[in-house]
Amino acid sequence: MKLRHAMVCASNQNRSMEAHALLRREGFDVSSYGTGAHVKLPGPSLREPNVYEFGTPYKQMFDDLRRKDPELYKRNGLLPMLKRNSSVKLAPQRWQENAADGSFDVVFSFEERVFDMVVEDLHNREHALMKTVLVINLDVKDNHEEAAVGARLALDLCKELEAAESWDDTIDEIVPAFERQHRRKLLYSISFY
Amino acid sequence: MVGVMASCPRDKALSLFNSAKFSIEIPSKLEPLRQLQEIVVYRDPTLLVEFVPHLMELQSEHFSPIRKFLAEMIGEIGLKHRQFLPEMVPVLISFLKDDTPAVAKQAITTGTNLFRSTLEDVALQALPDSLRESSWTCMLNFKEAVYPVAFQSGSEGVRSLAVRFVEATILLFTPDPNASSRPVPPEGGGKSEGFSISWIQGGLPLLAAADLALEASKNLGMLLDLLRSPSVRGLPYSVIFVLINSLSTIARKRPAFFGRILPVLLVLDPSTVVIKGALVSNWRDRLVNALKSLNAGDSSERALGQFDNVPGNLNHQTGDPHAPKDGTLSMHVSDATPIDAGRKRSVAEDAGDLAHGDDISGKRVRHVALVSQESPMQVIQPSPEKSQESSPLNMAQSSTGDGESGPVQQLVAMLGALVAQGESAVNSLEVLITSISSDLLAEVVIYNMRFLPSTRPSPESGEEETLTSCNISFLISNASAEIKQLSGTEHTMSLLSALPQIASLLDMKPLPSSSSADLTEERKPPIPMDLSIPASNTSTTDVAVLPRDAPASSIVPISDEEVNQLAVLETIEVGALQTGIPGLDDVPSVEELKEALDSSLSSSVDLVSGSSAKQESSSDHMSYDKSEALSPRASSGDMSWASSTASAPIVLPSSYLLQKVPPLVVALTDEQKDHIQKLAYVRIIEAYKQIAIAGGLNVRFSLLAYFGGECPLEFDSLGLLQRHILADYLNHEGHELTLHVLYRLYGEAEREQDFVSSSSASSTYEIFLLTVAETLRDSLPAADKSLSRLFGEVPYLPKQALKMLESLCSPGNGKDGKDLQAGDRVTQGLSAVWSLILSRPPIRDLCLNIALQSTVHHMEEVRMKAIRLVANKLYPLSFISQKIENFATEMLRSVVNGNAGGESTNIDRSNLSGGQIDSTEGVPKGGQLLKEAGLATADISSNINDSSSAKTLSSSSISEAQRCMSLFFALCTKKRSLLREIFLNYGSAPDAVKQAVHRHIPILIRTIGSSPELLSILSDPPTGSESLLMQVLHTLTDGTIPSPDLIYTVKRLYDSKLKDVGILIPIVSSLPKDELLSLFPQLVDLPLEKFKAALVRILKGSPNMGPVLTPAEVLIAIHEIDPERDGIPLKKVTDACSACFEQRVVFTQQVLAKVLNQLVEQIPLPLLFMRTVIQTIGSFPALVDFIMDILSRLVSKQIWKYPKLWVGFLKCAFQTKSYNVLLQLPAAQLENALTRTPALRQPLVAHANQPNIRSSLPRSTLVVLGLAQDTQSSSQAQPSLSSADAGTSNTQALTDTTKEAKTVG
Repeated sequence: MKLRHAMVCASNQNRSMEAHALLRREGFDVSSYGTGAHVKLPGPSLREPNVYEFGTPYKQMFDDLRRKDPELYKRNGLLPMLKRNSSVKLAPQRWQENAADGSFDVVFSFEERVFDMVVEDLHNREHALMKTVLVINLDVKDNHEEAAVGARLALDLCKELEAAESWDDTIDEIVPAFERQHRRKLLYSISFY
Repeated sequence: MVGVMASCPRDKALSLFNSAKFSIEIPSKLEPLRQLQEIVVYRDPTLLVEFVPHLMELQSEHFSPIRKFLAEMIGEIGLKHRQFLPEMVPVLISFLKDDTPAVAKQAITTGTNLFRSTLEDVALQALPDSLRESSWTCMLNFKEAVYPVAFQSGSEGVRSLAVRFVEATILLFTPDPNASSRPVPPEGGGKSEGFSISWIQGGLPLLAAADLALEASKNLGMLLDLLRSPSVRGLPYSVIFVLINSLSTIARKRPAFFGRILPVLLVLDPSTVVIKGALVSNWRDRLVNALKSLNAGDSSERALGQFDNVPGNLNHQTGDPHAPKDGTLSMHVSDATPIDAGRKRSVAEDAGDLAHGDDISGKRVRHVALVSQESPMQVIQPSPEKSQESSPLNMAQSSTGDGESGPVQQLVAMLGALVAQGESAVNSLEVLITSISSDLLAEVVIYNMRFLPSTRPSPESGEEETLTSCNISFLISNASAEIKQLSGTEHTMSLLSALPQIASLLDMKPLPSSSSADLTEERKPPIPMDLSIPASNTSTTDVAVLPRDAPASSIVPISDEEVNQLAVLETIEVGALQTGIPGLDDVPSVEELKEALDSSLSSSVDLVSGSSAKQESSSDHMSYDKSEALSPRASSGDMSWASSTASAPIVLPSSYLLQKVPPLVVALTDEQKDHIQKLAYVRIIEAYKQIAIAGGLNVRFSLLAYFGGECPLEFDSLGLLQRHILADYLNHEGHELTLHVLYRLYGEAEREQDFVSSSSASSTYEIFLLTVAETLRDSLPAADKSLSRLFGEVPYLPKQALKMLESLCSPGNGKDGKDLQAGDRVTQGLSAVWSLILSRPPIRDLCLNIALQSTVHHMEEVRMKAIRLVANKLYPLSFISQKIENFATEMLRSVVNGNAGGESTNIDRSNLSGGQIDSTEGVPKGGQLLKEAGLATADISSNINDSSSAKTLSSSSISEAQRCMSLFFALCTKKRSLLREIFLNYGSAPDAVKQAVHRHIPILIRTIGSSPELLSILSDPPTGSESLLMQVLHTLTDGTIPSPDLIYTVKRLYDSKLKDVGILIPIVSSLPKDELLSLFPQLVDLPLEKFKAALVRILKGSPNMGPVLTPAEVLIAIHEIDPERDGIPLKKVTDACSACFEQRVVFTQQVLAKVLNQLVEQIPLPLLFMRTVIQTIGSFPALVDFIMDILSRLVSKQIWKYPKLWVGFLKCAFQTKSYNVLLQLPAAQLENALTRTPALRQPLVAHANQPNIRSSLPRSTLVVLGLAQDTQSSSQAQPSLSSADAGTSNTQALTDTTKEAKTVG
């Protein structure tokens, strides 16, 4: 059974895109989203983050940052990240506005706050399809290294889910097994489309 | 082909069906089926009659995807063509038991849709009678088949869907309180969400609404039972989630059931589920989410509280490996909840959910429920949005104001919710009432009693204050729209004392007021009383409110009569209705108000204080007030609210006003807001300067720091704070404040998962720290400890801070010594580094490196300071001593191997060879240099200065070597075993390094003394280190008495390894006499300089023992050397003698006389005896008589038998004119003498001719002298002959003598 996956983090830049890129490489059906109000990227200081609207192409952000301070953004990994992102898809997408993308089978979030927002959002949508969706949270700190680790974990878990004939029957085994194996704590919930 | 297909869809369909049926692969089956579906369902439905039976045959298909597709297809067909339902539904039912969960799930999904649409069709009588009954019957069959799936264990996925199905039936069977009372034509033909069972007109035989409701209620009960203990234990988590989700959906959409559902969710006892361990927290979260989505904010909080209170909460019972995580999780959740709830709501708003019709209803109900917990009567709200906005506050409020919770409250809440439904909920209400035990009911009543005013005119007593305020808060939020309308338009503000308002609100509902009154009277005793609150009460309320309006405005008097109030309020309501969404209306209306009344007020603060004063003067506790109406936006108001809570009853009025205040700010632009905030902040900071004088700062620091962090990004609040700190670091307790700020920033950086905020927080942290540190460095005196204290106590040190320290400790490394003068700064930096090393183990290595770099700094002043620190303070620390040692050794080796100082050394080499013309000669020259260096006597440096000019060239490399080695030398004093390293490396070191070593070593050795370590090195010196060894010995013995150990060691060394007697020189004065004498030849054999040094030592001796040898003994020892026997060149011996004679102070004439006296007695006579005699004469002419005496003794010793001495004797005699001695010679020897020295004859003859002498002379002598007659002729002729050539021969003889003397000497 081919599952549709969604990777969700706050800005649809680092964690979700890392996982998106990885899963896509592995041949999964995957999309990615952010739940924030805007796409925020670190700026030269706390006071000046770079804020973009969802839907702004990664390429455009890339050019923007490169224009502002190529050295800084290269060093903190933003430019490489944006470059990677632009090779995956056009622009960051917002979870709350993804109704048109159809239903997903598995939604992966990388932060509890994001998880809450996804669950709440799903809860507030109309449940017309009677289709279950598994929402899983894996806490991943928002930096490049951890994102890579998190993406691999997500991939592992997605593989297991994909391998199961029907994840909703086995999720109660898969998750604890995963937690034991990777010593990571998962949150999950089941929602409906 | 296309034509065929188009012309005859049936054929096409048939062939597709066959290919699907007979294919053996899944894809090749599915594809034709899809096409078939397309054809029969959409293009030519007439074919269905034929194909449905065929299709149903597929139910026995082997492949599950086919069956699943069939289930899907049934849905497609069924929705459009009900007539086939009887035929198809049995298939669906059979699928429910399918082995493949996916098929069963699809069957349920399809069934659910079919069920819903069929029900609608039946209810709306949209189907022909025949169809209606048959299709409905089969759907009922399906329903009955699904129920067991939901309630019995089985595949979890299927079961989840079955639960959803049950949820759907419950929703379908119960009236939607929010739906329009009449069916609206469904838009787009789809299943209309708006369907409500209440549309069913009476008299539908198939559908008895009551039965359905009963069934729904029963099903709900079963669902709830599942969640009750003990059955919940057996449920898989996924099913629990789904149950909770479903129930919350039901509760949301059917408020009537709220009261039944909430208690179950609340009692969900984690301990029952706890056995399953790890998932509990997970599960709990889901519950929290569900509760949140119910929007029962306070309830969920309470529920959380319950969780946390469950004895032996999760972690304890399970011993869960993730326990700590759980702990933090729960903390996090409970901490965050109040804020969270608010946030979630606002998120919902952002999402534009307001636009959804049914969403509004959901929210409204939620709020109703929420509020009604406090007072059921207040449930009814004319303006959902309004209450929605206030909900966060309400939550917060009730959580503070109400310590109690429990099923009773839940029940009350539920009752309230039902009442809110009005007529439509009457049935449910009845069901509920009957199902409640009488005890519980009694509790509910009693609970409600609390809302009664204790006395009518003066409402709540203190005890009930909080409750009241809760009450009111709700009221106000409800009423605020009206109030505003009132005040804005009529200036009446008439008052709505809380309870009358409720009544009015009740009225506004579409239902007849009488019925609601009935209800309330029936179950809610408080209400009637409330309603009758006297006018006096309300009027006081008016006063409280009025300050805003100015008292003069017309106040509509309020009668006691309920009816009257209702009337008034109804009119108000009409006003309120003018705007579709009162919530949105809120702001503008208030603004109007504000402009009208308070335009002159410059600040909100003024307004608050002014009006609250009035309020107080009106002496009204009247709290009633709407105080809590605190709109959620009243963020500024929050603070004063919090503060005012402390002052009990008066609180409320003021906070009430606050509710009106926030709009005052609305008109400001962002820039203005920022400006004001900034001003406020600056003011706060300024105020701190005064507080500092008053004391008590500590408590407030964190507050200030927090402000700094929280202030909007637009202005540089931290910068302001920083300037404050730095303006007077010491007096403003800058240290503490800085730490507060830094810890806050640090915490932020650590806590934030968000990449953006965490990295920017940490960069802010760094900048802040650096700025403070740099200012401290630049502004405070170097002796000030603030900097090191700051670095020692901040949460962590970023790299830049360490860099700064580094530049402090090693000035001029980067930018060319701008602050070279800053020697004190170096001390400052070093002491900071020192304290960091002690107090911050994680960065110990980094700090140590800074200190170490400083120890090889090119400036000596810096270096010395650093070395002192490292050697004296750091090196004794066991945990880093090894590192220091390694570093020092490294530096030493690098300099020895020419790595560090390599460049300069190489340059020197090339200079050397260049100057020497021939590069090969450079090497010997170097060797010679070495030797010369090895000659080092006590004063090494002067020696160095004496050495060739090539050496001065390398002075830069010497200092370079010193730079790198100083540390090592310093360490040697602490750990003597390191000394060996120096010796080991010395041999292979370049010249410059050797010189540097020579400069260093005396100091070092003097510090160490002759320690065992040193002795062991001395006893076994590495090859190549001889000259160093020598210097060490010199240093050791310089001015002190060498210890016996040292002497022993050196002697052993001399005996065993190192034959160079030179090494003995330093201890020569401590050697026993006989040893020294035996060594004497070797000493003499040394280069003259060394010998002289040794001579000095010997003669000087040791202070307490006196000289080892007297000068006389020395000379004698020299004379005792036999060049041939001892293998020592004669020249050396003569030089040694000369050296002695040079020291006239020591070798006085007495000494010489004594020596000569002794020597002359020796047999045989020392070879150099005569030379010494001659030299003695030369040095001390006064000794001439003594010498003559010696000479005469020599005569008696037959000096002529020593040919070498004989020559010297004659010469000496001639010089001293010792004619008497000569005359004592036997005649033969005299003649020989005269022939050798013809010049002697004449004076001798003259001397002999003196009568008194001549008489004493023997005849033979006279004959030789030619004074006797015996051989007269011959003898006379001879003298004449000889005298003839006397002139020449005499000179010749003299020269001969000199020659001989020379050869002898």
